[in-house]
Amino acid sequence: MKSSNRRSRRAAVAVALGSVLALTATACGDSGSGSAGDKGSEGSGKGTITFWDNNGGVRTDVWKEIIADFEKQNPDIKVKYVGVPAASVQSKYDTAIQGGGLPDVGGVGTAMLAEIAAQGALEPLDSRLAKSSLNGRLNEKFLDSVKSAGGDGKTYSVPTSANNGTLWYRTDLFSAAKLDPPTTWTKFYAAAGELTDQAKNRFGYTIRGGEGSIAQALDAMYGQSGITSFWNGDKTTVNDPENVAALEKYVGLYKKDTPSADVNNDFTKMVAQWDSGTIGMLSHNLGSYADHEKALSGKFKGIPNPTLDDGTRVQVSNPVDGLGLFKSGKNKSAAWKFIEFAASHEANSKWNESAGQVPANNEAAQDAWVQASEPTKLAAEALNGASTKIVQLPYYLPDWNTISKADNEPNFQKVLLGKMTAKEFLDTLADQIDKAQADWKKHH
Amino acid sequence: MAQAAAVAKPPAPPRRRRASATPRRLPYLLIAPAALLMLGFIAYPVLSVFYYSLQNYNPTKPWRNGFAGLGNFTQAFAHDPQFWDTLTFSAKWVVAEVGLQLLFGLALALIVNQSFAGRALGRALVFSPWAVSGVLTSAIWVLLYNSQTGITRYLADAGIGSYGTSWLSDTSTVFPAAVVADLWRGVPFFAILILADLQSVSKDLYEAAEVDGAGRLKQFWHITLPHLKDAIVLATLLRAVWEFNNVDLLYTLTGGGPAGETTTLPLYIANTSVDAHNFGYASALTTVAFVILLFCSIVYLRLSKFGGETK
Repeated sequence: MKSSNRRSRRAAVAVALGSVLALTATACGDSGSGSAGDKGSEGSGKGTITFWDNNGGVRTDVWKEIIADFEKQNPDIKVKYVGVPAASVQSKYDTAIQGGGLPDVGGVGTAMLAEIAAQGALEPLDSRLAKSSLNGRLNEKFLDSVKSAGGDGKTYSVPTSANNGTLWYRTDLFSAAKLDPPTTWTKFYAAAGELTDQAKNRFGYTIRGGEGSIAQALDAMYGQSGITSFWNGDKTTVNDPENVAALEKYVGLYKKDTPSADVNNDFTKMVAQWDSGTIGMLSHNLGSYADHEKALSGKFKGIPNPTLDDGTRVQVSNPVDGLGLFKSGKNKSAAWKFIEFAASHEANSKWNESAGQVPANNEAAQDAWVQASEPTKLAAEALNGASTKIVQLPYYLPDWNTISKADNEPNFQKVLLGKMTAKEFLDTLADQIDKAQADWKKHH
Repeated sequence: MAQAAAVAKPPAPPRRRRASATPRRLPYLLIAPAALLMLGFIAYPVLSVFYYSLQNYNPTKPWRNGFAGLGNFTQAFAHDPQFWDTLTFSAKWVVAEVGLQLLFGLALALIVNQSFAGRALGRALVFSPWAVSGVLTSAIWVLLYNSQTGITRYLADAGIGSYGTSWLSDTSTVFPAAVVADLWRGVPFFAILILADLQSVSKDLYEAAEVDGAGRLKQFWHITLPHLKDAIVLATLLRAVWEFNNVDLLYTLTGGGPAGETTTLPLYIANTSVDAHNFGYASALTTVAFVILLFCSIVYLRLSKFGGETK
């Protein structure tokens, strides 16, 4: 009896342990059979299409309005809306590309365009755009960004909106301290120091040390060094001595004029911390405008990144958001109608007004709300103005996301914590970028 | 005559073959659906991971895909310091978490096994963190460690420490801070399992021990602990595997930082596959993790003589 009990206990533990261990081994699988190769078809132009919003939750309401307008105008087409949170949209696309279930239309920003296009999931849209009513009505700079990000010169998404790096600052704190708005880097550093009083829980700036830190650090670095190109021949300029000096100055703010907790700051924590009311300045894009308005209405302003003392503004390219048509779709003509509608004047204006971003449709960019919303207006001027030099980040490299996130975000934290120098960090980054560029060039 | 023939007819052979065939097949038929599901949802993915561990496979760089042999494993063992760093951290995390959870779980189980007023409420409070979802647990601890709303803010208000700090952003405090957060969730698991086993210890044993003059410590050492041995071994083993695979809490609390200080091997695997799309290498790392866990589990079961009779 005891022996039987012993056996059954052993069997039980073997089953339990086996299951748990097996789940360990299933942690990283890939079916390998892709649906990205499906050719799809034009379809009848009627019926139901599926649309994945790449910022589900945040932009759900405005998309539902646009979809309702579209369905009213096209009663034969129904759009099934699927809101995918921004943080998980890349993996959701990757899973669907491998395992099936891609939508007909999906929101695709330039930051992920190369990876999705490289997997053969998106349809090139050049010929459709040439015949479309959108032809000539979309911002040329945004179209260039989309083409450049695709990796092979083709247009894989219809641009709908652009974001821009914005320096948000507290007008009430600046007035109380009798400080000029931080329009230049010199004024920015002076204000960061003036507004800091750690004993009273006041800090001049909050730095992004966690997820998403690299793009922001590069923005500040190129903005101060004044270097206007990411490449010098086949070598990146990220570790140019002037960039090293600029980064050293920027990370010197950490703990001196920023909370030490910033080392783990992702966008959510950083924005929440600034909105809590004790910090003078925050660098983020236009997307957080609504959050600031709720928490600090009337006490803040947003301006494009500071300029050099001579008025030159250098900034890195921000991702351009757009809509992609998936190759595997079975009703591409209906899907294309939806894309055309969403990028048209009225719908594009509605979406961007809700998001506070810069419209890709030229007519929408002239609408009254753009002029009335100061951060958006200034961002649009900065993006389109001749005095702004934009350093184009290599979104077309399939390795770019890995290099600028998983590979180097921990290293940037080491720089903040004094465990790595800015030069070591930038040399490592440059080496990885140069290798990725060489590999990409070899195969394109 | 006809009657005689009828009498002489041997009895019909028993229909054993037909009668026994169905019961023999029945267990297999009954387990077939479960077996098929297991094959589909466990065996296939496991074999798929083993297969991809021998491949270079990155869907965003198809020109590099192909058979890698043992290249991914060589890369991990010989050229990837992050693999060793994250494996070492995982081991430290498992030892600290499982050891402390066992200690506190055992203590709480012994306390709530006593008779006292409000015992039911006490038990409910002890077990309640286990009922809270992982997402909520993470959210609670993120707020508790937040520099503006959390513990350090209130300490700074009281003149202890500085404003703008968080225990999760300091490399010297992030490990204990994360351990405490996970302890809160993990201790009830041990307490529940141990309490269930405690209730099956015969009262006669304690009475006899008391008659023999054994104190409470001796009773615990010679009666309670041997009785709990199998429950402790099983709980420890399962929890060790779960803690090794822990991704959610650490990911939410620290994202593996600062500076990679809290990146476990599974978190590194997740980054390698989900962010970097390097499924071949991530599969090799997963295979290594599987083999390590399997080896440790077998050694642990052997050493602890699980299921053996206690003297």
